[in-house]
Amino acid sequence: MTAPHAASSTPSSPSGKAPPAPDRIQVIVATDCGSTTTKAILIELVDGHYRQTQRGEAPTTVEAPFADVTLGVTNSVTELQELSGRRLIADDGTVIRRTALTDPNGCDVYISTSSAGGGLQMMVAGVVRQMTAESAKRAALGAGAIVMDTIAANDNRKPHEQIQRIRELRPDMVLLSGGTDGGDQKKVVELAELIAPAKPRPRFGGEYQLPVIYAGNKDAAPAVARVFGAGFDLSIVPNLRPTLEAENLGPARDRIHDVFLEHVMAHAPGYDKLISWADAPIMPTPGAVGDILQTIARKRGINAVGVDIGGATTDVFSVFDGVFNRTVSANLGMSYSISNVCAEATMPRIMRWVHLPMDERELRNRVKNKMIRPTTIPQSLEALVFEQAVAREALRLSYEQHKAFATTLKGVQQQRTVGDAFSQQAGGGTLVNNMKLDLLVASGGVLSHAPRMEQTALMLIDSFEPEGFTELAKDSIFMMPHLGVLASVHPDAAMEVFEKDCLIFLGTCVAPHGEGKPGKQCFSWTLSGARSAQGTMAVGEMQVLPLAHHESCEMTVSPEKGFDMGTGPGKPVTRTVRGGTVGLILDARGRAIAVPNAENERRATIQKWLTALRVYE
Amino acid sequence: MSVATILLLAQEAGAESSTAVNWFMPGKGVLLVSLIVVVVAVLGSILWARAGHSIVVRKIAGLDAVDEAVGRATEMGRPILFVPGIQDMDNIQTVAGITILSKVAKTAAEYDADIEVPNTRSLVMTSAREAVHAAYLSAGRTDSYNPDRIYYVSDEQFAFVAYTSGLMARKRPAACFYFGCFFAESLILAENGNAIGAIQIAGTAETTQLPFFVASCDYTLIGEEFFAASAYLSGEPDQLGTLLGQDMIKAVVWVMIAVVTLVATIAAVTESAGVTQFITNLRMSMGGG
Repeated sequence: MTAPHAASSTPSSPSGKAPPAPDRIQVIVATDCGSTTTKAILIELVDGHYRQTQRGEAPTTVEAPFADVTLGVTNSVTELQELSGRRLIADDGTVIRRTALTDPNGCDVYISTSSAGGGLQMMVAGVVRQMTAESAKRAALGAGAIVMDTIAANDNRKPHEQIQRIRELRPDMVLLSGGTDGGDQKKVVELAELIAPAKPRPRFGGEYQLPVIYAGNKDAAPAVARVFGAGFDLSIVPNLRPTLEAENLGPARDRIHDVFLEHVMAHAPGYDKLISWADAPIMPTPGAVGDILQTIARKRGINAVGVDIGGATTDVFSVFDGVFNRTVSANLGMSYSISNVCAEATMPRIMRWVHLPMDERELRNRVKNKMIRPTTIPQSLEALVFEQAVAREALRLSYEQHKAFATTLKGVQQQRTVGDAFSQQAGGGTLVNNMKLDLLVASGGVLSHAPRMEQTALMLIDSFEPEGFTELAKDSIFMMPHLGVLASVHPDAAMEVFEKDCLIFLGTCVAPHGEGKPGKQCFSWTLSGARSAQGTMAVGEMQVLPLAHHESCEMTVSPEKGFDMGTGPGKPVTRTVRGGTVGLILDARGRAIAVPNAENERRATIQKWLTALRVYE
Repeated sequence: MSVATILLLAQEAGAESSTAVNWFMPGKGVLLVSLIVVVVAVLGSILWARAGHSIVVRKIAGLDAVDEAVGRATEMGRPILFVPGIQDMDNIQTVAGITILSKVAKTAAEYDADIEVPNTRSLVMTSAREAVHAAYLSAGRTDSYNPDRIYYVSDEQFAFVAYTSGLMARKRPAACFYFGCFFAESLILAENGNAIGAIQIAGTAETTQLPFFVASCDYTLIGEEFFAASAYLSGEPDQLGTLLGQDMIKAVVWVMIAVVTLVATIAAVTESAGVTQFITNLRMSMGGG
């Protein structure tokens, strides 16, 4: 029997090298090995400030015929070398380190993330779907994994169906949880008894034992270890839910990262070399994005949401009151999954964002074409408008899924008073509160590569419906993964580059919560400071006030009765607002955004909003 | 049969035939109209629901939390306690409690959690066993059904409370459900459950006990919510339609109370003989004195 590993307290670089002290770091090379492209960035200390200076990319080489991820890394860093004039690649293809700070060649730190070959794919299991199984899923997603399936005692599947499913999956690792400490042992052992005989095969061949992380009732650990026995590489970490009132995801997440490096990466083509090159543990790309979002939320004391919309999936990250959550909407994307977006959202919901006359049949053909030719981009205004309408619905659905997942803990005893007689709320309410949201960050092709910043801003506002004052930004060149792993080595440098080079601030959206009759006054506003102005907004209107990205103003918004800016209906609010490439966006459409049903009225309304923001000018 | 008996029966038959002409009392016409309105509203709502129209029942947090409470018991490896009140099956609250027991037992069967149902009445015990057995059957877990967990304790109120409190202290159930007719024992049970850290869900129509449940339980079904639970849980058109019909009638009654109160106030203020007479006639026609 393989002796189970104890949990490590902190993840360390398997290369055995410790990264230099932060004050010794002036030149940083970071790569992100994606499924198709390896992206490298160069960060340098310029005039006392960390700035991203160069960017290079090359095709990822993890698949045959190359089957060595480091070739792509070398190619992308070579591009950095050519652009910067700094020698970064040695003759043997490795990344050069500087021996002295005066050395004009090489870098001080090399770090990397990876999602190549499908990233980290996990299966999770727990006793009750809404409790320990959900915590296990949260731990796996937070560590940057794709959760292939969640097995639970109450998942409405018979044991033979569960075994069949486990056998079909080929996960990189399994996370098993269940029972509070001192609580249930029987069912978590039963889950182990389902997984062990099913013998799920690891994705990267059968030459290594499938890693299983046990994060359940500590009293059941010996029995679980007996069940798994030989044939599995079992790690035992502290319980995810030591009590139902508390969630302890940290140790399981750290262990997932360790196992990802020790087992999964070590068996992927070329990763053993890449690990030895890197000065910090290689992180799964989504995990690194989550880390940088948490860092920025913590350092600025704000609530933030990040979204990355891809071809097949959409990732949503959120940090509300310090609690981090990540969801992957597996069937919501802009190419491979576009048909599913149309099916789930329905055509009428998509078409409500379109102001041009379009033939629905032609649009359906366009959708199928996009699915089978995922790299095509819109060639006409109609195609662009339609694609962005689909994106709005994909983002909206992903955010709804995220809201449903990012909840308070379930199964917790409530404390009541007689005053609660008519206001009892069930546990597990969502943590996502748009009124408390301070920063919304967008990334992914359709958002990052939109021809105009105004298009990105309006897509974000229409799909996320931010309330109150919300800064909108987009990741300029999908640099967040690099900065996420940099945050583990030099958090200040990561923050500085994030603020100065990573994010393109689009502006601040000012939108009260509430509903009203179109044409009636919604709120009045006054600006002071860098710019002075005042005005009123009627329900249903949108307006952009010019305010550059380096400017900020004091803004007082006085909502009408029935509208709320975060302090209660009708109460005025004063805040410092930040500008951006779009400006200050005043949105008086109310929440939820109401689009008229009548065709002509709908088109005229959408056209009015598009004109107000100069979206397609 | 004696001659006297035959004569007596003949006399009664004659009396019945003489009352046949008095089927309708014109003075009670309002009651007839009210009855027709109630019947039409309920039957109409049932037909409406059967036709496939959706009837939205507002969320009842206490019933939505059943999964959460049973899940807590499952994760903590502790039993679930269900108390169906201390009255017999002739009390409608007990019947409503048994309906909810079916839902709790089915969830417990799906989660493979243990459920314990102490009773104060033998007939309630039998009904509870039937309900739990049916629930386990529908969940496909008849093998897990244990009738010994549903048992009779005592008809005596405080003997039952003493036993149940002891059970709670010993077995420390993680989820406690109190659905039925409760009196003084409500606070004793609920406070014990709170002290052992259980999620507690209660439901009763006893207005004097509701404050105790609200203060010491996680969720409380208040009065009508308790009786609406059956329709809420089943989602059957007939039950939902009945619920809608009853709500419509209640709305009509509220409006009538408001209107008649207004009219009576006007009559009192203006001392109008006509309005006063109208109020008097209305009261008489409704059977008032």
